[in-house]
Amino acid sequence: MNYVETRLAKLARTGDRRAFAELVDLYKDKMYHLAYRMLGQSHEAEDIVQETFLRVYTNLDRYDVNQKFSTWIYRIATNLCIDRLRKRKPNYSLDAEMPEGEGADWYSLLASDQPSPESEVMLSETQEHIRRAIDSLPDKYKSVVILRYLQDLSLQEIGDVLDMPVTTVKTRVHRGREFLRKKLESEYGGKVFETK
Amino acid sequence: MDCKQAVREMHEFLDGTLTGPKAAALKEHMLSCPDCRLVFQQLETTDALVKSMPRPSAPDDLTDRIMGALPQSRKKASWLQWVKRHPAISVASVFLLVMVSSFLSLWNEDTQMTVKGANLDQLVIKGDTVYLPAGHKVNGDLMVKRGKIQVDGELNGNLIVIDGTYALASTAKISGETRVIDQALQWLWFEMNEMVGGLAK
Repeated sequence: MNYVETRLAKLARTGDRRAFAELVDLYKDKMYHLAYRMLGQSHEAEDIVQETFLRVYTNLDRYDVNQKFSTWIYRIATNLCIDRLRKRKPNYSLDAEMPEGEGADWYSLLASDQPSPESEVMLSETQEHIRRAIDSLPDKYKSVVILRYLQDLSLQEIGDVLDMPVTTVKTRVHRGREFLRKKLESEYGGKVFETK
Repeated sequence: MDCKQAVREMHEFLDGTLTGPKAAALKEHMLSCPDCRLVFQQLETTDALVKSMPRPSAPDDLTDRIMGALPQSRKKASWLQWVKRHPAISVASVFLLVMVSSFLSLWNEDTQMTVKGANLDQLVIKGDTVYLPAGHKVNGDLMVKRGKIQVDGELNGNLIVIDGTYALASTAKISGETRVIDQALQWLWFEMNEMVGGLAK
């Protein structure tokens, strides 16, 4: 395999910082977008991107040049995001219903006093619904859905990144898609679908 | 085709992995089933909506921050990694280095003459010269370090001269071999053999 990234990685391994900076430029947006969607927060996403590149840098010797560089870096970033999600899980769940809530959950609280993570990008009402639906995906579907739809990875590549058989990836894409559909239908009474 | 199977095939279709005849069968089912038609339309829209989400890009200064946070030298890191990966070799070579340097410093510091042998009473020592006078006899090996030796008598063994010189008179008789060691490394080798020999005994 003679990918540009692989050549850059080999150069970076010998101590060439300019080569590494090129790798950063090639991948920072993809990694940022991935982390942003996984965590729903720009600050944490930046943290994850920094940590990802630091790990790539210190583990360059362990990078197998027969493997696609993208698979390797996606794996590192995805694992970091999943770890981060796992760690903050016990603290609070956005899906948990309020004690005396009539269908109200933590979102309704957050919406008022906390700026939306996408405050820098104005989202349409529909997009805001989608964002919340993605946020509420169970972790194991979330990573698959994000890699599939937002990073355009093939099922095979996702299998390589997440270390799971393609059949499992496929099942999770299907369940994730189903989850999103039901969420959008039940929460917004199908009005999201009517706009299209 | 029942509705449950139809939903499975819809996902395959949206994955782009549903082949001709199967796709036709799905289409046929949907034509006769309004519920499935609705589900399919919702799934298709979900896909399109998710794909159309905006893609925020990383802040402009992120590259600088990433590069600034990297450890200084990769060369050093890879050297350290080699050490981490080969702990046994690393420890052994450090040990060897210490051994050799302590031997070498001993070699350079030790300037006193040493004489080793079985019958030292047969020898006469004057200044830095050891004499084995004629008529005298030494049984066993004789070793002289950092000195001269003049052999006029009889030596029933090997003569070893380390970092020094020797002279044999015509009356001298040496039954073993005579060895002169004047290089630090040779001496080191000799010492190690002695050590191993000592341990073997």
